[in-house]
Amino acid sequence: MFKDLDPILHSQLRLAVMSLLISVKEAEFTFIREKTNATAGNLSVQIQKLKDAGYIDVIKKFNKNYPQTICKITKGGVKAFEEYVNSLQSYLGKE
Amino acid sequence: MEEKELNEKESLSLISEMIQKAKSSFHESGTSAILWGSVTAVCGLLSFAQVQFGFSLGFDVWLLIFVVIIPQIYIIIKERKNKLVKTYQAAATDNVWLVYAISISAIAFYQNIVPGISDKLMLDEGMQLLQKNIATGEVKDYHFFIPSLSSVYLIIYAFPTIATGLINKFKPMIWGAVVCYALFFISLYTSFKYDMLMLGLAGIANWLIPGLILRDRYNKNIAC
Repeated sequence: MFKDLDPILHSQLRLAVMSLLISVKEAEFTFIREKTNATAGNLSVQIQKLKDAGYIDVIKKFNKNYPQTICKITKGGVKAFEEYVNSLQSYLGKE
Repeated sequence: MEEKELNEKESLSLISEMIQKAKSSFHESGTSAILWGSVTAVCGLLSFAQVQFGFSLGFDVWLLIFVVIIPQIYIIIKERKNKLVKTYQAAATDNVWLVYAISISAIAFYQNIVPGISDKLMLDEGMQLLQKNIATGEVKDYHFFIPSLSSVYLIIYAFPTIATGLINKFKPMIWGAVVCYALFFISLYTSFKYDMLMLGLAGIANWLIPGLILRDRYNKNIAC
């Protein structure tokens, strides 16, 4: 019996964001937007969903009077990501 | 990026692609390494030249190190603020260099404080060290000094460079540190004059050359 894939992570943009954040300590919003080629509006919505799920922390601050949004993965996010990858691998292994 | 239903293979492929993008996103500018390499090379080579050619600049040239600390701190703060991403490697490397800064400062204090304190502690015990010229029989005061401390500096120079090279898999820094360790072994057998020459060469091998390579890569990446 396969485990259901986490619906929060099983979305293209949210999975891309989590894959970026799992590889780095923290990343700024513009960096994530550049790497995912997402629109600012869509990315903001998906980041908020990841934050609401407790998978990422979002820190808002100012740098030279410009707002900055820093995102970093939480311990819960790392665990969910690992479980998601394990589930994917078990699906592929059974094919 | 468009929202679409992913199958398992596409999901794994997306994860792998994003991890690669994140890994290739961080590029060190090399500014700090160039700055430290230049000042160490100038200080070491000038110290050597003063003894070799018998002239004096009239001040301790190594004080330039402290002059460089101010722009160094400015560069670190500026680069940190402008970084859009912080990798785990960068965080580990920052900590290595912080430990280096503490260690090198501590050794500078040790070098300047321990000889004087040792003299005082001996005098408190009612003792004094004397040196005798066995040819003339002349007896003079002997003051504590720390022999071949430049060798210790060479080990300390190599430590953050090799750690940074290994963490970031950056061979020029690994080789620079290897050169520094080789200079350390040579310095065990050489006089102060050549120790100064080796400190200068260590600055070039350890920081200046890797820093220039980093700068070249950074500029190419910016141009892309």
